Amino acid sequence: MNEELYNELVAQFNTDGGEILMFTVDRVLYGVEIQYITEIIGIQPITIVPRVPSYIKGVINIRGKVVPVINVRNRFSIPEIPYDDRTCIIVVELGEIVVGLIVDRVREVITVKPSEISSTPDNNQNSSNQFIRSIIESNDEIKLLLDVRKLVME
Amino acid sequence: MARFEAGMESMVEVFIYETTTLLEQLDQILIKTESNNGFGDEDINEIFRIMHTIKGSSAMMGLSNMSALAHSMEDMFFIIREEKPYILSIGTLYDLVFTASDLLKAEVEIAQDEDYTPADFSEHIEKIESFVAILKEGSETNPEQLLTTSLEDSEIETSTHNSNIISVRVFFDDDSEMENLRSLLLIKKIKDDCLELEYEPSDIETNPDSSRIIVDNGFIIRFKPLNDESFIFKAIEDSVSVKSYEVIEDNLAEALPDYIDLEPTAEEENIAIDIEKSETISNQTKTKVETTKDAESKDDAKEKIDIPKSADQINNLLSKTQGSRGKQNLISVNLNKLDELLDMVGEIVITEAMVTSSADLKGLELDSFHKSARQLRKLTDELQDIVMSIRMVPLSGVFNKMRRVVRDMKVKLNKDVNLVFEGGETEVDKGVIDNLNDPLMHMVRNSMDHGIEDDPQKRIKLGKPEKGTVTLSAYNASGEVIIVVADDGAGIDSERVLEKAKKNGLLTKPESEYTNKEIFNMIMQPGFSTNEQVTEFSGRGVGMDVVRKNIEKIGGTVSVDSKDGVGTSFIVKIPLSLAIVGGIEISVGTSIFTIPINSVKESFKLNQNQLIRDVSGEEMVMIRGKCYPLIRLYEYYGLTPKSTDVFDGMVILVEGGGKLACLLADELIGEQQVVVKPFSPLFNRYNVKQNGMAGCTILGDGSITIILDINNIIHEQ
Repeated sequence: MNEELYNELVAQFNTDGGEILMFTVDRVLYGVEIQYITEIIGIQPITIVPRVPSYIKGVINIRGKVVPVINVRNRFSIPEIPYDDRTCIIVVELGEIVVGLIVDRVREVITVKPSEISSTPDNNQNSSNQFIRSIIESNDEIKLLLDVRKLVME
Repeated sequence: MARFEAGMESMVEVFIYETTTLLEQLDQILIKTESNNGFGDEDINEIFRIMHTIKGSSAMMGLSNMSALAHSMEDMFFIIREEKPYILSIGTLYDLVFTASDLLKAEVEIAQDEDYTPADFSEHIEKIESFVAILKEGSETNPEQLLTTSLEDSEIETSTHNSNIISVRVFFDDDSEMENLRSLLLIKKIKDDCLELEYEPSDIETNPDSSRIIVDNGFIIRFKPLNDESFIFKAIEDSVSVKSYEVIEDNLAEALPDYIDLEPTAEEENIAIDIEKSETISNQTKTKVETTKDAESKDDAKEKIDIPKSADQINNLLSKTQGSRGKQNLISVNLNKLDELLDMVGEIVITEAMVTSSADLKGLELDSFHKSARQLRKLTDELQDIVMSIRMVPLSGVFNKMRRVVRDMKVKLNKDVNLVFEGGETEVDKGVIDNLNDPLMHMVRNSMDHGIEDDPQKRIKLGKPEKGTVTLSAYNASGEVIIVVADDGAGIDSERVLEKAKKNGLLTKPESEYTNKEIFNMIMQPGFSTNEQVTEFSGRGVGMDVVRKNIEKIGGTVSVDSKDGVGTSFIVKIPLSLAIVGGIEISVGTSIFTIPINSVKESFKLNQNQLIRDVSGEEMVMIRGKCYPLIRLYEYYGLTPKSTDVFDGMVILVEGGGKLACLLADELIGEQQVVVKPFSPLFNRYNVKQNGMAGCTILGDGSITIILDINNIIHEQ
């Protein structure tokens, strides 16, 4: 998915709101728009691909398709924990790139109103904040909306 | 495709395919006739027909500029055909037609783009029109002179009159005796001047009684003259004891086969497949292949027909066309469908392995199941072979395109060469063919530009013929296709190459340590080009490294060999097919890798005395008196192996790009046919290919393994 198209989708989300899937990594609540998600699966046997950045854990077989998986914990520089039966892989599709994101727990899908979306402070450049696109405040809870494109492609 | 009208989309592909095929055909005719120095009537008709079709179909697609250009060409050939004007400068004519063909080709290529703007052909059309004006003048002043020149090529008729079969009845002197022998002598005499020759009675050689028949009925000869029938009449007249002869009218001429045109070898998105092959597959899998039945009738261009039926139709046509251009037992199929078919077969192969090696079956005694499983295995293997063979296309198509390259170079460089083809019938996968065009073109250009000497005197001095030769040859060797582009030019000046490499900082070890072969192969390194002067065709800095990259992209290798004063050859090795390879599975720790079977030489456990260390501590393995570097895969990929002890693991001797090395793995798991799946585009920026990974594959149990690219592993060492 090129940047242009992605920015268009982001702008549309910011003005109209939309549905997001919530998940936790290291007890922090994150969200990702469901329009990019194709499915959520449990942890699968992963084939290691050597000589790629460590956050790319390898590839998995989803019905005959070879899909790379990214561990969100590594991406956020949070220490890894062993996978358990509640570890999930969220499969996202960005144009021709299909990627699985390994997260600790998956929560529910919520609908976000435009008024609940606010942008992130720009001065934060540490490793986990650079992948946060906006902050969502609803039901007295703070959720961090992921910048999926940045997480996957940069 | 935004610019085509709604409803036209389905036609676009057919249009592009058809037009490209026609233009290819046009180029072939032009190149054939240019070397013969003139058009035959049939060629003119053919060009006229091609232009007419392009005019019509491009007008239908709304491409008025193409239509106009084709129209002007059609006009020009109409005049050539009808008025047979004397053409003063045949070179100009060829240039006009070649340029027009190029313009049209370029236009077809971009017509599908979103932001397509029609090119302006008016300049070229004007040129053609002014040439036509000259032609018209010429035809008025020189009405008797014909354009058609006598052609040596026996397949081209020189005039419509000559193409008819002539029958002659010959009578011998009344009491000459031995009429049959005299007839035989006569036949022997005229045989060489005839294209076709038959006679009655036909058994003069064996049957003494035929003499009587000849006395009674005369000796009847039917022939098709090679040049001029008057030669043959003269020969008959001059024969001893011929009393008289008469030309008889019979309707044999009408029985001459009509030329029926079937679309020749397919290009672009479509692929021509052998009917026989597809018939087999239709029997075995009941697959219906949708065929483009007749590209000319666009309305029903795409309809499903049963293959056996179409085979019959084509066979009917073939029986009518016997003697005309052969090799027409073909249908066109969209390449995407073949890709899908191949994918599907790949899945079947995997699923079959999944079923027969299912964990549920472990420990069970299932005799009849295993028997059926073996049968299934055999059938899937065969199915796979057939699908692969359908995708195979002979190299001759790519080779023929090189004629055009040579022709253009000839004009621009003023250097004449013979282009020789060998083994054009060698077949490779369509996916490979499509990626071969550019590298081959570059190599041919390179051979002509840098290989063949600029000064013919130099060649003569060395005892070589004045005209250089570029040879394109292809042959199969152990699962690979080898293509050689060789010239008989000056060869590569290794000193100059070395000097240049030094200047460009490409040397990695002392000069004296380089072998000739290493030096020659330097010309394919990025940023290398020996020609100081940039010519239009080569030496633009892109050079031979692009050739190497393109070939490597399809899993092949290129090497250079050269001998001073004798010539240079580029040797390209490419895999027969990209999609399914035989592989050996090995394990390293928890990871499983697949090594393509044609890279594997042997595998063994190491003995204590086989392992040696060189001065810098590099490990080497000694096999039958030869040393090979040892690559510990777990070290190479940073994995945790079961054991780091060399003598616990398995050593596999592999070959890649002409070099050998030993890989150390934990265990050998087994051998299997695997379907190559490319890596996700996500990995593109991590250079996985350079890191020795060619792709991945899914095994029978659903697990993924990585296919190693031995070539890159060895060369990175």
